[in-house]
Amino acid sequence: MEIKIMKNILDRNQNRANEVRAMMKEKNITMINLISSPGAGKTTLLERICERMCGRLRIGIIEGDVTTDRDAQRLKRFEVPIVVINTEGGCHLDSHSISKVLNLFDLGNLDVLFVENVGNLVCPTAFDLGESFRLAVVSTPEGDDKPAKYPMIFRQAKAVILNKTDLMSYTNFNYRNFVNDLRKINPYVPLFRVSCTRGDGIDEFYAWIEKQIIQRQ
Amino acid sequence: MHELQIAEELAGIVLEVAANEHLSKVSRVNVSFGQLAGVVPELFETAFQVTVAGTIAENAALEIETIPVKLKCSSCNAEYQVKENNFVCENCGSFEIEIISGREMYVKSIEGE
Repeated sequence: MEIKIMKNILDRNQNRANEVRAMMKEKNITMINLISSPGAGKTTLLERICERMCGRLRIGIIEGDVTTDRDAQRLKRFEVPIVVINTEGGCHLDSHSISKVLNLFDLGNLDVLFVENVGNLVCPTAFDLGESFRLAVVSTPEGDDKPAKYPMIFRQAKAVILNKTDLMSYTNFNYRNFVNDLRKINPYVPLFRVSCTRGDGIDEFYAWIEKQIIQRQ
Repeated sequence: MHELQIAEELAGIVLEVAANEHLSKVSRVNVSFGQLAGVVPELFETAFQVTVAGTIAENAALEIETIPVKLKCSSCNAEYQVKENNFVCENCGSFEIEIISGREMYVKSIEGE
């Protein structure tokens, strides 16, 4: 006999994500899910954000890391609450892993919670964490074909950060091709060109992100 | 690689429904994945078989239907299927596009006795 089900396979993840989102809303916290390939510069971007945001907004960070706490170590100097989730080989975070660590934060004392997802452009896009929005970080040495090859993350992103622009002339990254492909997938998404190591373009991006957080409060 | 977790979630649903329906064996599982869901069918098949090993769904046939990407233009109301990832209206060039299918990830039914 055949039994009809017609159910989203990731229903359990979606339900928990909805609970997390409701809780963040109640606490007035903006949760930002950072997604990129490994090495694109998520942690360095967080460093540049923390330098500017500490003292202005109350920050919390969840670091998704496959095995180490190295990213968290780099951010320790900012003295903001950081929780590491080791996925033990897992290629993405899900809403259950987020939900389990939320009680480690003093949520009444946070304005923004950054979630650095595991470096991967495919898997994290399928799992809603309950975030307010997603940011896609991509870097020039990865090549200009990332939007065409990984459309979902670029479609979902509230903004796209193109990092390592200082290395562009050493690579075959074609900025025009990148923008053309990106615009076919997400025509209006804000695109920020930055170099997180040199600081180029960071102030403009920072002004945007701070505005996103304050507008939600 | 997230195929494994998706397979575990699927196995959870399948075994729960099978238990509620008092099935002693699940012989087939029918699922649908959109082309944009990012699931590789071959990997998913392996992940599913590993996950259900030793359960009443062991060796169940997994039928994967792939759902094409369909877009709808909010400006001219055209609906069409796309091959490439181009979310600009083919008909009128508008950017106001809605993805109406292609992101699905659902279990349709199971068969068993």
